Amino acid sequence: MSGSIPFSDRIANWLPRLVLAPSLLVVLVVVYLFICWTGWISLSSSMIVPKYDFVGLSQYVRLWSTPRWHTAVFNLVIFSVLFLGITTLLGLLMAILLDQKIRCEGALRAIFLYPMALSFIVTGTAWKWILNPALGVQKVVNDLGWTSFVFDWIARPSFAIYCVVIAAVWQSTGFAMALFLAGLRGIDNSVIKAAQIEGASLPLIYRQIVIPMLRPAFLSVIVLLSYIAIKSFDLILALTNTGPGSATEMPSTFMYSATFRRDQMGVGAASAMMMLMTVVAIIVPYLYSELKETGDGH
Amino acid sequence: MNKFKLILMATAVALPLAEQAMAETKIEGLHVWTSASEVKALKVITDKLATMGFEWQDSAVGGANGANAQQALRTRVAAGNPPAIMQFLGFEGLGWAKEGALRSLNDLYAKNGWKADLPPVMLQFLEQDANFFSTPINMHRQNWVWANKAVFDKAGISIPASWDELIASGEKLKAIGVTPIAMSDESWQIEELFESILIDVNGPDFYKKAAIDLDETALSSPEMIKTFEILGKLRGMHDAGFTGRDWSAATNMVANGQAAMQVMGDWAKGEFLAKGMKPGVDFLCFPTPTATPNYKFVFDTFGGFTIDNADIIKGQDAVAEAIMDPEVQKNFNLIKGSIPARLDVSMDDFDDCAKRSFSDRVEAIKNNAIYGSLTDGFAVEPRFSGVFQDVVGKFFVTDMSAEDAVQALVDGINNAR
Repeated sequence: MSGSIPFSDRIANWLPRLVLAPSLLVVLVVVYLFICWTGWISLSSSMIVPKYDFVGLSQYVRLWSTPRWHTAVFNLVIFSVLFLGITTLLGLLMAILLDQKIRCEGALRAIFLYPMALSFIVTGTAWKWILNPALGVQKVVNDLGWTSFVFDWIARPSFAIYCVVIAAVWQSTGFAMALFLAGLRGIDNSVIKAAQIEGASLPLIYRQIVIPMLRPAFLSVIVLLSYIAIKSFDLILALTNTGPGSATEMPSTFMYSATFRRDQMGVGAASAMMMLMTVVAIIVPYLYSELKETGDGH
Repeated sequence: MNKFKLILMATAVALPLAEQAMAETKIEGLHVWTSASEVKALKVITDKLATMGFEWQDSAVGGANGANAQQALRTRVAAGNPPAIMQFLGFEGLGWAKEGALRSLNDLYAKNGWKADLPPVMLQFLEQDANFFSTPINMHRQNWVWANKAVFDKAGISIPASWDELIASGEKLKAIGVTPIAMSDESWQIEELFESILIDVNGPDFYKKAAIDLDETALSSPEMIKTFEILGKLRGMHDAGFTGRDWSAATNMVANGQAAMQVMGDWAKGEFLAKGMKPGVDFLCFPTPTATPNYKFVFDTFGGFTIDNADIIKGQDAVAEAIMDPEVQKNFNLIKGSIPARLDVSMDDFDDCAKRSFSDRVEAIKNNAIYGSLTDGFAVEPRFSGVFQDVVGKFFVTDMSAEDAVQALVDGINNAR
């Protein structure tokens, strides 16, 4: 009987649940309820305002018949793979180099982390000028005397998406580095010393011992960067505004323009559901496998 | 002392009374005007409102070509808190009127006979199911070319009479190191060129069939292919730094002689005037070259949401009356760069470009050659004009063929139907 448990203990048992309840409720309503609502809208004929009828999957058919949506999906794949890959590798490399007990580490760390303090709007606008062939890199190199130098990726539809990758990598690498650095500092030095005594070379130590031990850091970096990749909206708007000729369209910008510019709320909702399904399909299995192996999660 | 007390008492009684008489009814308006000239022009309306006893509560939401304001509006309507007055462009107002969210202004229209004061072609954007729901303040003309006169003289070219001539002038301009056309890779700026070619080369009737009725035969016709081909000839007429350029930055390139021409609506005129340049002397304004003169319009209207509050209803009526006041229309448009929506306003104080716009409008109404601008949302609903924008933008920046573009256009329009 609970009567035998002291009152203060019962409070202590219930307190965590009580404290968590409001935020749980908020999450249930603003996340899961609205996901369901969006799903419902995506099956309706909603145009300018929500309409609660049922038209089956016709908005999804319309969505997948839109060439701009194909561009958006393709861009998301290119962008996510390159952005995740380059940022993780560069971040790891920079963290390992910084971890070699070098001089001015604090100052360097701050410099590498600074881009993260900027909003994507600022990053996008700055890189828009840097990459503009008449203002930025190309002009500087041309003025220096190399007149045949051409760097006009931002004006070329098939290359513009790589400009977005460059800007996003520049912004987020320092952040990945900071996470990896924290992971590296958490590794017991005696493990490395022991390996060195056994005669292992430094690259081997990193490959075989340190990097596998950084697994939790990899988890954080990959989860955080993937969600930056999927919600990359402000960066696109500031850097290319989905141009030239919708060449840098992303699912998020597509969703915004369908819902708020083109009065196609049903199509917008359908694209939002597709984005959700993508996230679920990729992130959930990854999280599941990562969290299961450690048993109790992190 | 007694007298002093009396005065004190009198003031004590009179002050709240005076304050009450001064207290104006507040009327809130959501709009997208945030640039200096737009804010100044809006003040003409709000000053008039103040004399009528209403205080304008300004809710300006700028940016993203009006998308931010649309988002703000949707959020507020969904929350059951619509603004009393909303600025509408093109089909935006019609959409809300169809949802039954806007107040009918039929009484005011009937009482003041406004219908007869406005160009007939405007009415379809002001009226839904026999209910007038908004009042127009101005009319912009879309199909203008803005040119630098000194550059034209230097290159030895004159105002082109056809698009072929304009393209030929472009080669001459390139030879003297001037960018022929100031523009951006933003799809809507490319579409401004496209829609001008569409109507100039094929005539107003074809424009109506293709861009307004969305007739499939017209959309897939050889005329449409020809339109894209001419647009394709303009591919080399811009500078390398055109990525993401703002339209006003492009206007400034013309103003300072870096570029010769810009095809843009007459909101561009303000940039020249702000530099102290004079029409006909320092810069030229002429309609896009055509054998079949036409007029493509864009205008701003204000409508009111249905709100059950007598004060707000009075305020909405006052806004409509202020907007339709001929003196307000004149002073507003002198600042904004457009011409009055009303047909009966004297144009004496306006500059030559505005006078030309006004007389061309009279002519175009007579000849059935006046239609809404495709780019700016006065031809078809946004889900269709968006398709035009996608295809035209992609066509211009890639080496897509005119035939492929026409096919993409037809498929896209059918998909959005």
